[in-house]
Amino acid sequence: MNELELKQLWQSTNEKLEENFVIHKKNTEDLTQVKVQSLLGSMKPTKIFALLVGFLWVSIGGYALSSIYLNSFAEANKFFLFSASIQVGLTAIALYVYVYQLIRINQVDITDPIIKTQEILSNLKMSTLWVTRILFLQLPVWTTFWWNDTMLTDWNLIQWILPVTVTALFTYASIWLFCNIKYENRKEKWFQLLFNGKEWTPLMKSMELLEQVEEYKG
Amino acid sequence: MKKQDQRQLFERIIEQHKGILFKVARAYCPDEEDRQDLIQEMMIQIWQSMHKYNDKYKISTWLYRISLNVAISFYRKSSTRAKKFTELNEQKAETLVNDKSEKEKQLILLEQFISELKEIDKALMLLYLEDKSHTEIAEIVGISVSNVGTKIGRIKDQLRTRFSQFKS
Repeated sequence: MNELELKQLWQSTNEKLEENFVIHKKNTEDLTQVKVQSLLGSMKPTKIFALLVGFLWVSIGGYALSSIYLNSFAEANKFFLFSASIQVGLTAIALYVYVYQLIRINQVDITDPIIKTQEILSNLKMSTLWVTRILFLQLPVWTTFWWNDTMLTDWNLIQWILPVTVTALFTYASIWLFCNIKYENRKEKWFQLLFNGKEWTPLMKSMELLEQVEEYKG
Repeated sequence: MKKQDQRQLFERIIEQHKGILFKVARAYCPDEEDRQDLIQEMMIQIWQSMHKYNDKYKISTWLYRISLNVAISFYRKSSTRAKKFTELNEQKAETLVNDKSEKEKQLILLEQFISELKEIDKALMLLYLEDKSHTEIAEIVGISVSNVGTKIGRIKDQLRTRFSQFKS
């Protein structure tokens, strides 16, 4: 089959199908009545909930920690104070990336050429990786917040082995994940295993799409 | 432009160019139910982008950009159903190819080939089959005219191989 025949076959089939495709005037009118969805309106309830919890966590945590720093720093457990500060600080950074991403997604111009729009959309979606990396970085502080001065003075070497090993392992894992969770490693087995759930499908698809965009630009 | 005029223009554009929306939706979203949602999403995006229309481009170029961008981004909602369809479609193609006319067989084969293409290749193939000039394709996709030629050539080679495999 030559090119011309192929195009004719395609076009004639579509013409036949198009004849049965009707857009009712009423539907078009209704669409023009739809108000532009606000950023908040376009978000899923789970995302709004996650965002609210994140804000509450950072606000309450930030307030509580600053009052400890200002009023009772000398008496405070420094392990708890520094661990909690790192945790709240990292959550605040993750929250910032998340909000920035949501705002930017709503500013994408859908009328731009495909390569440009899809590159921006995919890159934005992939900034989710940053949130994951930052959250992984919190791992070690969850193992140190309960440490206290008594441990330093009263514990012997054997008692120290377990908590230090756990913290060392968590620190190594968090730094390793922070450095390695990136687009370049998307084809690694561990990466695909980590991002294997249904909720990660858009992210993985964005990576595939970005690969196509790069191919077209290259 | 007044809201009322904008509304009338929108309705006229949709009526005159509904074929573009339909063809893009058909290529990207084989599931009938999802396709309705996709077309509606395209129409919402067109309506919301009315004020951005730049008359240095043809209206079809502008519409193809919006509908293709929406269709490519639509996977977020319909990837599961699309997967189901691919399986069904393959079965359909295998069983139907045996007892249809030569033209129908070729059409099934062509549709199957398109459904297997990557998202951006699919856009290019669709525009090529619609007989768009390389310049217009370049404006829609956002690549150079020479790159359009190269990419289309590569996709056509794949298509040729597929058809020759089918014949043999």
